[in-house]
Amino acid sequence: MIPAVRVEGLSKSFPGTGAPVLDDVNLTVEARSCTALLGPSGAGKSTLLRAISGLERPDAGRVLVGGQDMAGVGPEHRGMAMVQQRPLLFPHLNVLDNVAFAGTVRGVAKRAARADAAGFLELVQLAGFGPRPVAALSGGQAQRVAIARALAARPAVLLLDEPFSALDPELRSVMHDLLAQLRRSVNPTVLMVTHDRSEAAAVAEKIALFSGGRMLQHDSVERMYSRPVSLEASRLMGGANEIPGTVRNGCHHSALGALRLPGDTTWPPGPGILLVRQESIEVGPGNGPGLHATVSGLRVLGPRRLVSVDAAGVLLRAEIPWGRALAAGDTVTLSIPTSALAVVDDPDTAHTFPGAEKRPQITVQGLATLASIDN
Amino acid sequence: MAAPAILITAFVVIGGMATALAQSLGLFPLVGPPSLTVAAYAAQASDLPVGIGLSLAIAAASTVVACLVGFTAALVIVQGRWCGKLVAALGTLTVPVPHIVGAASVSLLLADSGLLARLFNAGGSWPELVGGPWWIGVVAEYGWKESAFVALVVTGTLATRAVSYDETAALLGAGRLSRLRHVLLPLSLPTLTVSATIIFVYSLGSYEVAWLLGRAYPEPLPVMALRLFNAATLTARPEAAAVAIVTTLLSFGAVAAALAYLRRSTLWR
Repeated sequence: MIPAVRVEGLSKSFPGTGAPVLDDVNLTVEARSCTALLGPSGAGKSTLLRAISGLERPDAGRVLVGGQDMAGVGPEHRGMAMVQQRPLLFPHLNVLDNVAFAGTVRGVAKRAARADAAGFLELVQLAGFGPRPVAALSGGQAQRVAIARALAARPAVLLLDEPFSALDPELRSVMHDLLAQLRRSVNPTVLMVTHDRSEAAAVAEKIALFSGGRMLQHDSVERMYSRPVSLEASRLMGGANEIPGTVRNGCHHSALGALRLPGDTTWPPGPGILLVRQESIEVGPGNGPGLHATVSGLRVLGPRRLVSVDAAGVLLRAEIPWGRALAAGDTVTLSIPTSALAVVDDPDTAHTFPGAEKRPQITVQGLATLASIDN
Repeated sequence: MAAPAILITAFVVIGGMATALAQSLGLFPLVGPPSLTVAAYAAQASDLPVGIGLSLAIAAASTVVACLVGFTAALVIVQGRWCGKLVAALGTLTVPVPHIVGAASVSLLLADSGLLARLFNAGGSWPELVGGPWWIGVVAEYGWKESAFVALVVTGTLATRAVSYDETAALLGAGRLSRLRHVLLPLSLPTLTVSATIIFVYSLGSYEVAWLLGRAYPEPLPVMALRLFNAATLTARPEAAAVAIVTTLLSFGAVAAALAYLRRSTLWR
């Protein structure tokens, strides 16, 4: 039976570090689901994974697997397996014996353990690699062997600690497909640590966002992007547009005017920062319908462009595909779908976030407009 | 770059061995004309088999004890707890103590007139640990001193990777004993083999501990070589050289066996 994993009030500090590495973390991961633990370095993601696996003893709180408290249960008895950034294949064993390791230590006969291991090697598309020494594998192959070895332990919960971060982008994409395929055939409960938003979105159904040892938000991938719960969560998810204003009667009033907010949520009245994903803003020709704006800057993002525009005194960013020629000073119109809007209310933390000074700032004209709205 | 070091080492090792070999074969006599002969070997033919057996037994027992104790100590050290730090400190303090001081300490501790015998008020029932038929004092001294060497060398190997591999094995379902058997021991084996070879060769060829803590007869090879070398009869010098050459051949055999084993090891390659 594949269990759910629940973390209740988990806290952890290390000697010599001021702030706790984990601060009262509560998280529920449904059975057979895949949740990505996302956040910047030092957010506490890996420590949480180690606490769940039993490699780290928490100062407070508990871990429940299938409803059973794991306190006092050693890592070898938790029914979990972990794949880390480094494959950590045992150098004294060949590929097949690495994958057969779990069976060997369980007391399975060597021949049976190896036959089982060969099946898992086939599953990760490395059939025939069994007799090779681990030193003869490439990075991607070694990581596949590490995954096969973990799966051969028949874990109810598979823990992945940035397993693909050392691989090149193309190989990472292949590994994401492989993970999806493995989930279809084996389907354990998966927790995966990553600091890459795209990777989290590619492999997981849900994302748990961490910062400074706290869990900021745990939600579906779509809602993590479209409905961040705080300015910090929005910025960690890559959101680039923040427009101060006021919420009244389901509308956000700002220098951009009154924008209707999505009707599926009750928006409390009062001051609030409007968030719009840069990918959701459509940029049209200057004579079209919508909000008029002037292009103030352009940056190439590979297959897309990040366009900075000045709209009624507010600096906005829009990520658009290549196509129509654009240059600084061009007049454009912006179209912002209602479903892409969200409002958060924590202006006090805005200035504390790294890189806050590089974010779009409201201009003097915009502030004046806001002042007139509030009055 | 390495040529000067190689030249000096080769001069000492090859020159010393060539001199001893020439002396043992009668080509380098103290008096009289040189003549090729195996008389020096023949003169000790009756004592050599016993000496070889005894030397090999002492060296083997000392090596096994040192490796067992040293490996256990290394496992304690890499855990990183307070007792590991204590064991590391004790090991570090033990390494620089000269063997002759160690032998004197073992004698003071384990002899029938030693500290432990007095502490337990054993009287005449104290076993012959020093100067007894089982050479326990000698093995204890080598085991104590060399276990510190093994502990520090194996710790150096395990410190960088033991924890991560140990954790990986634990998460694959391996208990403590399985991890020891299937992970930590195999990872340490090349280092243990090299350390064991050094200890074996050292305890096979050094005389002072066996001379101080052993019995007068039978003699291990290095004690025999020393006695013959210091003998009043100058003609015994070739016999001392013959015993030294036999000891050297045994050491070469041990090193060759160790290298042959290491060549088969995946980790060594």
